Amino acid sequence: MINLDFLNPAENNNVLEQEEANEYMENLSVPTFEIPLVHNPVEFLKHQTHAAEQCRLSIVHGTTTLAFKFKHGVIVCVDSRATSGTYIASQTVKKVIEINPYLLGTMAGGAADCSYWERELGRRCRLYELRNKERISVAAASKLLCNMVYAYKGMGLSMGTMVCGWDKKGPGLYYVDNDGTRLEGDLFSVGSGSTFAYGILDSGFKYDMTPEEAYDLGRRAIYHATFRDSASGGIVSCYHVKQDGWTLISRTNVKELHYKYQDEPKAPLV
Amino acid sequence: MNYPNPFADAIDYQRMEQHYDQEALDSLNAISPMTRTQQPIVTGTSVLAVKYKDGIMMTTDCLASYGSLARFRNVERMLKVGDSTIIGASGDISDFQYITYLMDKLMTKEYNANNGQPLAPENIYEYLSQVMYQRRNKFDPLWNALVVGGFQDGKSFLGYVNLRGTTYQSETIATGYGAYIAQPLLRNAVEKRNGEPLTEEEAKKLLDDCMRVLFYRDARSLNKLQRATVTAAGVNISEPYSLETEWAFAENIRGYGA
Amino acid sequence: MALAGEDFCIVAADTRQSDGYHINCRYAPKAHQLSDKTVIGTSGFYADGLNFVKKIKQRMEWYFHQHDKTMSTTAIAQLISIMLYQKRFFPYYVFCVIGGIDENGKGCVYSYDSVGNAERVQYQAAGSGNELLQPFLDSQIGLKNRSNENETLNLTEEMAIKIVKDAFSSVTERDIHTGDCVEIYIIRKDGVECQKYPLKRD
Repeated sequence: MINLDFLNPAENNNVLEQEEANEYMENLSVPTFEIPLVHNPVEFLKHQTHAAEQCRLSIVHGTTTLAFKFKHGVIVCVDSRATSGTYIASQTVKKVIEINPYLLGTMAGGAADCSYWERELGRRCRLYELRNKERISVAAASKLLCNMVYAYKGMGLSMGTMVCGWDKKGPGLYYVDNDGTRLEGDLFSVGSGSTFAYGILDSGFKYDMTPEEAYDLGRRAIYHATFRDSASGGIVSCYHVKQDGWTLISRTNVKELHYKYQDEPKAPLV
Repeated sequence: MNYPNPFADAIDYQRMEQHYDQEALDSLNAISPMTRTQQPIVTGTSVLAVKYKDGIMMTTDCLASYGSLARFRNVERMLKVGDSTIIGASGDISDFQYITYLMDKLMTKEYNANNGQPLAPENIYEYLSQVMYQRRNKFDPLWNALVVGGFQDGKSFLGYVNLRGTTYQSETIATGYGAYIAQPLLRNAVEKRNGEPLTEEEAKKLLDDCMRVLFYRDARSLNKLQRATVTAAGVNISEPYSLETEWAFAENIRGYGA
Repeated sequence: MALAGEDFCIVAADTRQSDGYHINCRYAPKAHQLSDKTVIGTSGFYADGLNFVKKIKQRMEWYFHQHDKTMSTTAIAQLISIMLYQKRFFPYYVFCVIGGIDENGKGCVYSYDSVGNAERVQYQAAGSGNELLQPFLDSQIGLKNRSNENETLNLTEEMAIKIVKDAFSSVTERDIHTGDCVEIYIIRKDGVECQKYPLKRD
C-alpha cells in the first residue's frame, strides 16, 4: 500500500495514539487460522478426522472429569487417559489446566482445542488483571472462553470444560463447551465416563462434607468411571480450589485405588 | 396410431432402481475442492534417471497420451534449465508446459540479475518443490512427477518432486510405471557395484534396457526416446531414437488373457 | 521416537520414505537438528513435515535476531504446539516428537498430535510403528506393570542406545513403512551427535 499520510498532516499527530489503539485491538483480537480452500471446510475436516475409514488424523479424545462446589470450596477431579480411536495415546495427560494460581480449567474433548484456548484464556485474564488492577471473576473468565469458542461454532472444535476458581462472590464453577454453552452450577461431570461419575457423585454428595470426605468422593467417582468407561483411566488427579487459590491434593494411579476400594466393606443391597 | 412403449415400465423401474445416495454425493461435493482441481488430460509416462561417472543421465519417451490414445507422438518431455540442470516430467503435459514457462521466467530474472552466480540444480529443485507444495496446499496441484537432474562444480544432483510436493533425492529415480518396473532394475544395477559409479556406456545400456522393458509392458509408452546427459560439458538432449525390440517371444507367453 | 535420560536425550527416526507399498527412497531423513540442544523427529506426510521444520527454523532465526539467544527446548516445544494449532482447520499431516535438553540441563521429550496437543513425557514413539514401539518402551523404560515398577530406572546412554536399536530392528520386522536405516541423534549438554545404524531393507 502506498503511504499517503503526507496528504493529510492533521492525521499524523495521532500516530502514537493509533499505534496504541492498534496494539490494544491486536491484544484482544481472536487469533486467525488457515482455512482449507474447499467448498465446505467443516466437511473437509470431518472427512480427514472421522469419516475416513481408518482415522487419518486421529485427534486425541476421551475423558472423565468432574468438579463440584461444597462448603470448603471447589473440588476438581480428572482421569489422565487420552485415546485416538481404540489406541490409548497417553496415560499421563494433564487434564486440569492451570490457567493461573486461582483459576483451573478441565479438559474434555479435543485435547489440543482445550489446551490452546485455555492458554489463550490465561493470557486474556492476565491482560484483564493488568488493565483493571484486580483479578478477573470466574464468571467473566468463563464468558471470555465461551465467546472465543462461540466465534468458531460449527467449525469442528471439540471442547467440554469446567472453569473453576474463587472470586469476590466465593467459589465459582462454570461449564463451557464448544457450542458456546455456558452454565453456572454446583456440580458437573464431563466426558465419556461422566454418567458413571454422576452416579457416585449424586449418591455421596453432602454440602457440609469435610475436605477429606470431598477428595475421597471425587476420586471415587473418577475411579468408578474408569472402571466402566474404557476411554477413561490412568491417574486420578484431585485439586481443591480455596479462597487463596488452588492446591493439588493428590495424583493416584487407578490401580492403587482399585486395591484400596476392594478391601473396603461393601454396602448391603437394599 | 400411438402404441404404448413396451419398455416404459422397465425404464421406469430402472430409474427407480438407479440408486443415488444423495447424502454421500453431497458430502463428497462438500469435501471435494472447488472446480479448480483437475485430473490429468494429456499425459506423459515414465521418466528414468541415474547418476553415473560423469554426471546425470535421464531418459523419456516422446509420447503424450490422451487417455489410452497415443495422441501426440513427438513431444519433448525434458527441459533444459540453465547450463547445468535438466527437468524430466511425467504426468499432465499442460502443467509441464506451465512449469516450462515458470522456469523461463525464473531464468530470465536470473539473466537480468546477472550476478555471476548461476542457479545450482539444488536451487531449481527447491524452487520447484515449493511451487508444487504450495499448489497442493491450494488444492490446485500441478499434476506431475518431476525429476530434476544436474551437475555443477563436480557434484551430481538427482531429485524427485511430485504433485503433493513430496520430495526425495536418490542415486536412481523412476516415475510413473517406471517406479514399479524400472526402479528395481536400476537399483539392482547400481547397488551391486558397491559404490563404484556406472560408466557412460553402462548407464546408456542400463537405461535403454529399462526403457525396452517399459515399452514391452507399459501400454502408454512409445519406442521413440530421448536421452539427456548433464555433465561438466553441460546439458545435452539427444535427437529421438528407437530401440531394437524383439517380439517373437510374445508367441510363447501364456496367461494374461493370451 | 524419542526418549530422555537424566542429562541426555535421544531422538531416532528411520530413513525410509514410502508411498503405499512402494519404497520411494531409502535415505530421506525425518529427524532434523533444530539447535545444539534440540532435535525434532517428524512422520506422516513427508512434504508437510519438511516444510513444517523449515518454518520452525525460520521462526527460530527470527527469535535469535530479536532476543540474541537461541530458543530453549521448552520454548520450541510451545512454539510447535501453537504452529500446529494455527492450522487447526487444515492440519499438517505430521506427527512429531522433539527431544532435547531443557533449561535445567535435564533431558526432555515432548510429544504432539497433529493439531498441537503437547505433553512432556519421558519417552514417546510416533508414526506408523507407534503402536508397536510404545508398548515396548512402556515395558523397558517405563517399567509399567512390572514388579520393579516403583524403582527408578537409571538409564545410561549406552543402555538407551541399545534399546533404541532393538526397538527399531523389531519394528522393522513388523511394519512395512519402517526400515533401511535409523538415524540416532544423541543430545548431550555439550552438543549433538548423530549415529547411523543400518536396518533390514526388505
